[in-house]
Amino acid sequence: MSFGYANGRKIFNNLNFSMEKGDRIGLIGPNGAGKTTLLHLIMGLLKPDSGEIEIFGKVRKEDRDFTEVRQRIGLLFQDSDDQLFCPTVEEDIAFGPLNLGKTHEDARIIVRETCEKLGLNGYEKKITNRLSEGEKRLVALATVVAMHPECYLLDEPATGLDEKTTQRLLNYLRENTHTYIIITHDLGFLKNVAEKMYVLSDSFIKEL
Amino acid sequence: MHLEEFAEGNSFFHRLDPRVKFITIIPYIFVIAFMKGLNGPVLSLIISLVMIAFTGISIKKLLSRLVVVNAFVLLLWIFLPFSYSGTEVFQIGHLKATREGFLQVLSITLKTNAIVIATIAILGTSEVFSLAHALVHLKVPDKLVYLFFFFYRYISVLHEEYIRLKRTMTIRAFKARTSIHTYKTYAYLIGMLIVRSYDRSQRIYKAMLCRGFKGKFPIISHFHLTIADLCFGFLMTLITVLIAIISKNG
Amino acid sequence: MHISEGVLSAPVLVTGAVLSAAGVFIGLKKMDYEKIPEVAVLTSAFFVASLIHVPIGPSSTHLVLNGLLGILLGWMVFPSIIVALSLQALLFQFGGFTSLGVNTFIMAAPALIAYYIFAFPVRKTNHFLCALAGFGAGVTGIGFGALFAAAALIGTGEAFLNIAKVIVVVHLPVMLIEGIITSFCVIFLKKVKPEILEVNR
Ligand SMILES: Nc1ncnc2c1ncn2[C@@H]1O[C@H](COP(=O)(O)OP(=O)(O)OP(=O)(O)O)[C@@H](O)[C@H]1O
Ligand SMILES: [Mg+2]
Repeated sequence: MSFGYANGRKIFNNLNFSMEKGDRIGLIGPNGAGKTTLLHLIMGLLKPDSGEIEIFGKVRKEDRDFTEVRQRIGLLFQDSDDQLFCPTVEEDIAFGPLNLGKTHEDARIIVRETCEKLGLNGYEKKITNRLSEGEKRLVALATVVAMHPECYLLDEPATGLDEKTTQRLLNYLRENTHTYIIITHDLGFLKNVAEKMYVLSDSFIKEL
Repeated sequence: MHLEEFAEGNSFFHRLDPRVKFITIIPYIFVIAFMKGLNGPVLSLIISLVMIAFTGISIKKLLSRLVVVNAFVLLLWIFLPFSYSGTEVFQIGHLKATREGFLQVLSITLKTNAIVIATIAILGTSEVFSLAHALVHLKVPDKLVYLFFFFYRYISVLHEEYIRLKRTMTIRAFKARTSIHTYKTYAYLIGMLIVRSYDRSQRIYKAMLCRGFKGKFPIISHFHLTIADLCFGFLMTLITVLIAIISKNG
Repeated sequence: MHISEGVLSAPVLVTGAVLSAAGVFIGLKKMDYEKIPEVAVLTSAFFVASLIHVPIGPSSTHLVLNGLLGILLGWMVFPSIIVALSLQALLFQFGGFTSLGVNTFIMAAPALIAYYIFAFPVRKTNHFLCALAGFGAGVTGIGFGALFAAAALIGTGEAFLNIAKVIVVVHLPVMLIEGIITSFCVIFLKKVKPEILEVNR
């Protein structure tokens, strides 16, 4: 697959990458290498200039093809403020489930469960833009978790988290998830969560 | 940015249902805005002051707010007394200040403050987000309400971006003067802010797509009318009708 | 350019409200749900920009930039501005809900005029003409805004004639500054992010 932003340089040139169910992948690379871009391509938020993207055994081209992908894969954005656009934590977490057709009752239960899992009890009624960066990070993760995805794409999930909260995130990932790609610049963190490591640089991706 | 300074507190007004607040305040302030003469405005200013007394808002904060609001009114005090014909009060050069002019500007001043104080007492004592929620229930077009939600949500984010950009200007020894260089620098700062806001809005939209957005925003409702709300609604309606009648006859 | 509560007469308030309601209605029709984040965050940016005070001789003025907003948003400038003014009315009681219609019209109608005259040249022409069009948009936004404000006052009563004149005169230097800043802004956007200007409104 190849990709470049409009009026920008080529970021990927005939890039090849695949992952299987159960892969716990760490992705590293210098700033501007295209890590975030790769995740957005997987979610269908950007479209490749050439080449193909195949997910869950089907080639995905149009926006329509990605609807299913977006339900089964959860993306944590690099900047929490992009992800948290609702007034309160509760509404933000419920936004996804409600869009998936859950009733208000179910959504409320999901909100409660998700908050419990991530140690966010008591945050439901808080106003999102008054949270600290670390709290925003966790709530953003909660909005992804609430959709019960099979696979997670996490764009620098641990930035802004203190040691204890990072540990909580690690525990959560170990116990509740099987398949993910984590982007990070923190190698210590990566050693704890990733079984495979990839480096992305100069439009190449290679396994370490 | 600390914006909602009056919304903190736990008075009767802070606990009222925002839907009732809108339904009662809109007729009240419009009746005041349409008033002429002095009787109605004096009475409504007194009522507004009684309301604000119940909110427990500090007088200092209230006054500092009123000073800003009355800047325009001050301008009127300079011009209007000389712009009506009638009984002369005093004269400067060939400008004649009249009793009618003074009464007119006094009436405006009372009306302005009555409306503003009521707005602070009733709407200022609720969180902005819960007021916006109330609008959905009052059948305001939902697009407008969502626009408001997103707009308010991202002010603080963009304000931080602005502060960061401003800082990079300051550390590079930028000093604002009346010069083309200054205006150009500000223009680039604003341009950058616009670009950032555009990029961010694209990312927000992507985040919405990732969470299954299909063109509708689900709203979780959590308002419950209480007896106090109904009483307040009834009382305000009564007051509004009363001041309307009094100002008409006086 | 805000007119306070309690000043304008009933017919002026009602006319302003009706005209703005029509503008908002058309603007909302043109704004799809997926466009909401873009219009909203842009409005946030302009709200923040309006807090900037630029020096003008010994004094300073805060920016309005409604001409620029008009070029970027077209008819959607009505919903954008009414939302921003509502927040101001809520938080600062600056302007207010009875004069919301009039104040929205005073800012949004000039923005729309700027859009119809200058959006096309800004997009299509070379840098010099683009800068000129930007200047025109800035001047139009403030100039017509001051005129509409004056009209609202005069419509309320003959007695307001002098204040109306003062308002127009005071805005002359502001017009010039907004023109200059809008002009540079447009050039900046054309260079850095042309797609913002290209989008079909
Ligand atoms: N919206 C955009 N338009 C144009 N170019 C972009 C855009 N977003 C990113 N780029 C460019 O694409 C390249 C890859 O960006 P990307 O965000 O994927 O990098 P990254 O590996 O995630 O970096 P970081 O570690 O800093 O997060 C960068 O050179 C960036 O300048
Ligand atoms: Mg990145």
